[in-house]
Amino acid sequence: MVLAVSQSVPSVFDGIANTVALIVLLLEFGMLRQALLRGQVRLYAAQSLAVSVLAAVVAFGRDVPELYVLAVLSLLLKAVIVPLLVMGLLREASEEIAGSGALGVANEVLISIPVAAFGFFAIGVLGIHSAVLPTAALSLSMAVVLVAFILMIVRRDVVSQAIGFFSLENGVSMASLVVAAGMPLILEVAFLFDLLVAVVVFGVLMRTHHRRTQSLSTETLDSLRG
Amino acid sequence: MTDLPLPFIQVLQVLTVAGGAPGVTGFTAWLEARLQGRRGPRILQPYFDLAKLFGKESLVPVGAGPFFRIAPYASFACYLTVPMLIPVLTSYALPLGYMGDILGGGLILAFASFLVATAAAETGDAYAQLASSRAKTFAAITEPVMLLVVFTVALITTTDLPYVLGATVRSGPDQIVRPAHLLAAAALFMVILYETGCIPIETHTGTTEFGMIEAGRPFEHAGPDLAMLHWGSAAKQLVLYVILLNVFVAPWGMASTTSAVAVALAIPAILGKALLLGCVIAVLDNSYAKLRLFKITEFVSAALLLAVLAVFTLYLGGG
Repeated sequence: MVLAVSQSVPSVFDGIANTVALIVLLLEFGMLRQALLRGQVRLYAAQSLAVSVLAAVVAFGRDVPELYVLAVLSLLLKAVIVPLLVMGLLREASEEIAGSGALGVANEVLISIPVAAFGFFAIGVLGIHSAVLPTAALSLSMAVVLVAFILMIVRRDVVSQAIGFFSLENGVSMASLVVAAGMPLILEVAFLFDLLVAVVVFGVLMRTHHRRTQSLSTETLDSLRG
Repeated sequence: MTDLPLPFIQVLQVLTVAGGAPGVTGFTAWLEARLQGRRGPRILQPYFDLAKLFGKESLVPVGAGPFFRIAPYASFACYLTVPMLIPVLTSYALPLGYMGDILGGGLILAFASFLVATAAAETGDAYAQLASSRAKTFAAITEPVMLLVVFTVALITTTDLPYVLGATVRSGPDQIVRPAHLLAAAALFMVILYETGCIPIETHTGTTEFGMIEAGRPFEHAGPDLAMLHWGSAAKQLVLYVILLNVFVAPWGMASTTSAVAVALAIPAILGKALLLGCVIAVLDNSYAKLRLFKITEFVSAALLLAVLAVFTLYLGGG
């Protein structure tokens, strides 16, 4: 059986890389629990920081110097610029608390655990082996993507959905670190600028939505029918 | 170099926990008061309280049976049985160390809490019964977390004897940074925060009405009985600290031989580590607002998440 518990202890490098990847997942769960919009943006910044740290760890441990550039770029863009932009948008909207999710926090976490487990094991059985990072990091990034989906589904406000989308991108960039750490830098940078486009789109969405309905909640969209 | 007989060291482990527990509680209460800008009670205050209570007479409510008097002593005996099973002073297993594993220790702690709750049910006091029913309800919620932590330990070491996990953690840095170990330790820490009545809803002294879980149960006890209950809950706190420190987080500074000097040095080492943990807990306690009583499920679901992820990462071979 593929998933039998291996008795081999991961090396110190693998352990650290897995722990950082796990922190990214835990911060995703933190966003699920966080009720304050500002707190959510801060958690996103922390998650981006963790992804940058993971890139730096890989660069140091596996001697891939291009990844340092990627780490610095993603740190600047995702941990500083994007959160500042979203914070600025929030200041205009003058709303503090996210509209309550469709479910209670404990239920959201309980639903996310099996979904994350599905991501974990679905990737685990594929048996993808990477030269630079342990497979567990790939499974973890899949779990991040799926929990980000849950976040976007259960939350009923534009900011949480935007943050869910941005953090989904964090999960994807973590996955790209595992499967293609030596990917040409130009491609990685192109991904980062994709994110900028998404930020612009979500910024326009947030502003327009707030101007039309005087709130950030998407619940009011239901009543526009007919 | 004089060697101590093993049974003597075993007794010494129990005495260390029994003697040091009120001091650790007193230190935490003092530090919390200082952090809040109060002068706070003296560090030795719990000892004085115990001495005062032992000098008084025991009163029993009308209609309470003999079990009401026995329960404080029986639960105290339970709390002091656990130090025989866990590494307090020595890194090698003592004669009775293999008597029970982590589950066994948890069972004894749960039995002690059951005794206290049953004694509270003997009285007609609504507060004592409310507190014990709350204690039992929330204990049932935290139980899955504890089980998953034990499973993680069992998967890491292929046994769940606390001595083995301590030795595994000491064996090298690769065992410390592995995510399964860190997650299990964090989940256990959250359970301990709950079990010792700090976060999320109680205060350390437990006198706020809504969170009065630990402090509500001995409402009807008086004199030496009450002293035994207070001493018992302090001992339980230190036992849980010792499990976290000497098994999971920092299994260093214990005696590895039977020499008298090594064992004598291990006593201040474990008490010092417990005081450091007390500092951490006091700071955490002061930096978070207390939750409403029914928000406790959110706190426990976070701990459950950590414990579940610990098992998952192990099964993925990355733990």
